Order: sequence, then structure tokens, then C-alpha cells
Amino acid sequence: MHMSHKTHQTPILSVEDLSVSFGGSRGSAKILEGIEFELYPGEVLALVGETGCGKSVTAKSLLDLIPQLSRNRSGRVAFNGRDLLDLSSRELGKVRGHSIAMIFQNPQSSINPVFTLGEQMCRLIRMYLPDEIKTLCKQKMVKEKAATKQIAQEKLAEVGLTETDRLLKSYAHEISGGMAQRYKIALALLSSPEILIADEATSALDVTVQAHILRLLKEMSQKKGTAILFITHDLGIAAQICDRVAVMYSGRIVEIGSTLDIFQKPLHPYTRGLLEAVPKLGRKEPLRFVSGMIPDLANPPDGCRFHPRCDHTRAVCSKQRPIIIEKEDGHFVTCHLYSATLPDE
Amino acid sequence: MSDVLIDLSHIKTYFPQKKTLMGKVSTWVRAVDDVTLKILRGECLGLVGESGCGKSTLGRTILRLAPVLSGTIRFNGVEIQHLDEKAFQPYRPKMQMVFQDPRASLNPKMKVMQILSEALAICAHVEKIQYAQRATELMDMVDLRPEHLFRYPHEFSGGQQQRICIARALATQPEFLVFDEATSALDVSVQAQILNLMADLQKRLNLTFLFISHDLSIMEHICHRVAVMYAGQVMEIQDADALFASPRHPYTKALRDAVPIADPTQTDGMTILEGEVPSLLDPPQGCRFHPRCKHATGRCKQESPKADVIKLGNWVRCHHHLRLWKRGLLSD
Repeated sequence: MHMSHKTHQTPILSVEDLSVSFGGSRGSAKILEGIEFELYPGEVLALVGETGCGKSVTAKSLLDLIPQLSRNRSGRVAFNGRDLLDLSSRELGKVRGHSIAMIFQNPQSSINPVFTLGEQMCRLIRMYLPDEIKTLCKQKMVKEKAATKQIAQEKLAEVGLTETDRLLKSYAHEISGGMAQRYKIALALLSSPEILIADEATSALDVTVQAHILRLLKEMSQKKGTAILFITHDLGIAAQICDRVAVMYSGRIVEIGSTLDIFQKPLHPYTRGLLEAVPKLGRKEPLRFVSGMIPDLANPPDGCRFHPRCDHTRAVCSKQRPIIIEKEDGHFVTCHLYSATLPDE
Repeated sequence: MSDVLIDLSHIKTYFPQKKTLMGKVSTWVRAVDDVTLKILRGECLGLVGESGCGKSTLGRTILRLAPVLSGTIRFNGVEIQHLDEKAFQPYRPKMQMVFQDPRASLNPKMKVMQILSEALAICAHVEKIQYAQRATELMDMVDLRPEHLFRYPHEFSGGQQQRICIARALATQPEFLVFDEATSALDVSVQAQILNLMADLQKRLNLTFLFISHDLSIMEHICHRVAVMYAGQVMEIQDADALFASPRHPYTKALRDAVPIADPTQTDGMTILEGEVPSLLDPPQGCRFHPRCKHATGRCKQESPKADVIKLGNWVRCHHHLRLWKRGLLSD
């Protein structure tokens, strides 16, 4: 069974049984195991989980941004009728940045420090929007260079940046983190991507700046119908801007559902534990936490990977890997607690 | 328990930015500009603010890790800001610091035992023969096992590494600890464990904490009072529960409202504060927050507000806080 909506919409991206493992000195580590999710046009899907659960690897695997030497992967990533995992690097290059764009955690370090922001942006505009430049040249009777600059300024204004003239002449180190992230978003949106992957895009920013960026992304997805895969460890962000939430634990998706369902009716014991550990304004009792540690991926526990830390463990949990169950419409969980029949009970 | 451990009066920490040909400083970065506050013994004072507001510099200034330009720092009633390195030495063990990135603050070539021994070596009252016993006690305090003493830092998870940093800070039997973004690099679940450990240690050992963080939501869990810093100045200090329930400064409210709430039904959250943090080279005249404040008036542009006491140990620096508060503009 697929973790899908029962809607009439067709997903823009569907990931089926994606597994990634890395070879290492201690044997191969299964970083991802049977990841399945679907992304619909115009929706914001959060991928949440603790450090090392495989959130970023999932995102990077979609575009094959992981060094190929040591990784093995299997599964299917269907996008526009093609399997992204089958594409040659040349074909994939046409997808990256064009139809699937990505923004990263540290904006300043993902901007080339030796070119001005304007030089970098204009190069991309010439690449993605040659027609717009031509029409603008004809309309306003200006040279190509001036037209490109004008488009750059318009696009920067779209993401709420002011003083665009000065900004285009600046270098990466001369602008603040919030401005850099807006600039990166402007670049990512140049090609009008169908999917935007945001990998901890606001984690390095202050809350006040973060609020700006989150609102901007939400608006972009609503206005342009861009689907956003938002990778974060902050459940607050997931609650505020995402339509659906997928919770990852140790290389697997343990629960996926609408944001309301996940926060109000969490099913998986791990999701519940994670929600209880979130500090909340206006609540003072000691914080609760999931006891134990995240498992070693080179030697993960058998059966359900969460069972050593779970309060509801039964015999079956350590033997058999739980299957995906659709508990309610569009709310999926992989946990033996919700199996209709238990094999040994 | 109401005696004052740390007493700061008009502290200014400036860093020279530019010098004239004659070697005179012409431009200063005013990281901490006229901060006056007291930290009581056994209290945990939170310090929040956006990056670049000077909160880390203030923490470092108290420990004399950053130079004080003017003002006085009293530790236990003794002025320490003018002491030279030798005279200050007896105070160093009493004040310790835990940093943000535990991996970077532990020497990768040393085992935990060596790391703790280094700290124990500066305590005059601990003999070398007692190191092992004392180290075991410290490990027990932070819920690590004695066998962990013989491992290297890289063999631990981030949360465990931060426990080692806390154990090292406790080795000198300090009275005062500064936590500079000590849980910011950790996952929520691990962060919860470290915060609970800190609250527990504070009660057990009657320690005084300065807890620096940019994350408002964790403040209420361990802090008694919280100070809000903006552009080098403390804007407001209130008891933790009062600060979040009824902020008195418009900036505190803006900061609180920007936090994404982990509850999808509360969608009115994440109000946006316009504008950018002012440059510390040339902070705005008058109230530092006025260019971004929607309640600002002509007075705010000219006159720097004084600290207005709300009740003992609670004050706010805003010309209009009473008016705003009466009209309910700062409550929800």
C-alpha cells in the first residue's frame, strides 16, 4: 500500500521503497530503508526527525547529491513519468535547479564568495529566462544587460528584498543571513520549479528572520503552486506552515498524515514522545523526553527500529518489521500497535 | 537566598573597529552598551536576543573573557573588573562557562579523564590522588557511567558530550555558570534531557546560572527571570512566567510572537517584525528599538528610555510601556 492521499490529485513526486546504504569500515549502514511518500502540487510537506534519522539523505538522494562512490540505493522516485534514479547524470543535471530546486541551511556558504550577487543572479537569468530578456529588450528598447538587471531587481523585490541596486553589487559576506536566504530563494524560484526542497532552510536564522522566510515560502507555494519539501527538526515550523507532516526515525518514515492529525492525534509512540519533548511557551513542568539513544545505523535493531526505546513494546516488535497501516483517511503509521491481527498473540 | 552574587553596573564592552593614524580608536563596535543588572544567588537568569545583540559578549564580559571599557562587575560584593590576571586567578574557578558546540569545546586528543583532570588541577583543595574519585562523582552528577572516563570525546553523542562539558565546568566547584547557547545544537529530545539535568543540578548544588539563548521557548522551563537584549542593551527583565504572559516591551512581544508554535490550531502565531537589526557601530539615537517599533513616537527618537521598575527585580526600558500595557496592546 502506498502512503497516499485519497484525493483526485495526482502526485508530482512519488517516492517508492527508496533505500540507501553506505559502505563503511564497520559494514554497510542502512541509512534509509523503504522510504515512501508522495508530494502533491502546491503542498508543503514537512519531513521531521532527530539528527541522523536520514531527513537530509532523503532529500539529497532525490537529486543524487550524495557522493556516488560508497552509496548503494534502490527504489523508485517517479517525477513527471520518469524515474529520477534511472537518469544519467547529464539528464539529471537538467532536472536539478530547473524543475526541482533546493535551498540549504547555511545561505552564506552556498553563495559563491568571489562573485557579486548580481553576477551570479544574471548568469542564471540568462540561462533560465532568455525569452523574458528578449521581450523586455524589445519593449523598452534597452540592451540585454540592462534588461537582465531589471529582471533581477524584479525577482529580488518579489522575495521582499529592498535596495536591490546595492544588493546586486554586494558580495556574500556583505549581507545578513536573512537577506542571503531570501536571495537564495529568489535564485531557486527563477526557473519556476515544480518542487522546492528546503533543507533546514531557516535553522541558522533568528526567529524574527525565520518568520519572514517561512511566510515567504508559504506564499510562494500558494501563489505559484510550487510543492515544497520542508526538512526540519523544528516541530513548530511543521505546525505553522506545512500541510502534511512525515515523521522519520532511524531511516524510516514512521508516521505521515495531515498536520492536524499528526499534532492532535499522533499515533506512533515516537511521534508522541517527540511532541512531548517540545518546549512550549506558557508551560513550566519538566520536559519529557524519549529515553535511550538513536540506534547505530550500521547495526540497527531488528524488527521495528524504535522498539528498544518504546514504552509499548511487545514480542512481535523485535522480530517483525511493522507494515504501513492507514489508520484513518490519509493518516499512515508503521507500528504493530495498530495491526489488526498480531501474529503471536 | 536573596543575596546578590553578580552585580553589574553600567557595563560597556566596546571593541575597536577603526583606528586613526595616531592610533586613536575612531569607531567602536558597541557590543554591550550600558547594562546594569543583578543576578541573585541560586537564580537562573535567562538572556535572550537575536544574533549580534551582544548577549554572548555580556556573558563573556562577566567572566572577564572580554574587555570591559567602563562600569563595575561585582562578584560576591568584590569588584573584579579592574583586577589583573594574577589577582583574578582565585575567582576563575568560581565562574565557569559551557559553550554551544560541545564537540568543538572538548579536546579530541584527550580522554574524558584527562579533560576532567585538567579542570581539577586548578582546584587547590583537590589532591592528585583524589582525581579518580572526584571524576567519578562528576560523571555521576551528569548521569554518565564511570567507564566513560576512558573514552575519547568522539565516541559520545552530542548530548553526552554536552554532559561532559557540564561535568568539566562543575569540576572546579563553581558558584556561577554561564551557558552560552548550550542546548542550541541539540535535538529537542536531547535538549529536554540536558535542560532537566541543568535544573536538577542547580537545585542540588545551589548554583547560579546565566542561561544565554536565542530560543525563547526553552527559557521558561529553567529560568527564574529572563532579560531581553536588543542592540547591546537590556530592554526588559521580568520573572519568566510574567515575561511570556504579559511582555512589557514591544520588542519582547515581537520576539515571542515570531516563535513558531508546535500547534497547528494556533495559526495566528508568527507575527512578523519588519526591519533589520541595527548596526552596533552606529546604533539608533534614543530608544534603540524605535526604527522597528510600531508604537514609536517623537520622544522615542530622541530620548533613551530609563529602566522603569515594575516590581522588585523586574523592569522595562520603554517610554510608553504603561500606556501600551493599560490599553492591552501588548497582551493577546
